[in-house]
Amino acid sequence: MDPLLLLALFAAIVMAIGVVWLLFVSRLPYRYPLGNRHPAFARYYVNKQEAEQRAESLLKGLLNSDQYNHLVRKGYIEVQSGMYPYRTYRIPRHRGSVEVYEMGRLVMSLCVQPTEAVPDADVVVMHKLMIEGNEREYLRRANYFDRQTDPFW
Amino acid sequence: MAKMRILSSLGDSVVEWDTEKATEGDVEAQKAVKEAERIFKEARARGATAFKVDAPDKAAERIDKFDKNAEQIIVVPRVAGG
Repeated sequence: MDPLLLLALFAAIVMAIGVVWLLFVSRLPYRYPLGNRHPAFARYYVNKQEAEQRAESLLKGLLNSDQYNHLVRKGYIEVQSGMYPYRTYRIPRHRGSVEVYEMGRLVMSLCVQPTEAVPDADVVVMHKLMIEGNEREYLRRANYFDRQTDPFW
Repeated sequence: MAKMRILSSLGDSVVEWDTEKATEGDVEAQKAVKEAERIFKEARARGATAFKVDAPDKAAERIDKFDKNAEQIIVVPRVAGG
């Protein structure tokens, strides 16, 4: 047999094995269009991003431009208490406890969470609406971290 | 158009209805109002709290009954101490 033909046949077999390995054995990123994640994860990330955009848009609509700029710049918004005249709640932009200020002094922090997983911006909306419209219930459900009694403060 | 937004892991789901058309007797608009009311009741039964929101500078008002004349209703899921 012609040695060149033999070499070409050997090269073809090696290439075929390589292609089969790439397609069925290796876990190289090109298998999925959005990186090496399974398509279900890719859908999850797209949905999560859309959810966050929708939540951000709702939050922006509920705040006036000054409040929204304050939130972006300083990382929190302040909501005045309806029950206690000298009290202000400081709601963080991202997850964390709500700080309670009285006469400008930090007196305690509150931990309240929605029982469903929602985007961060929706958590800000939740705190704002609960404090404005249902403050008594909000305080009833919150866990308090008091400056005087909490050893980890 | 009036809106009801239900907060969830998907951001928020929006239900819209036309109060004027529903009052005038438009069948489709009335169906939309009934559907919004059904969703509202379902959410409330799950422990959610609903708020009527008119303008950014006006404080939100908690509502226990569906208000078809509200400009915007926001339904937040049940909350618990963290």
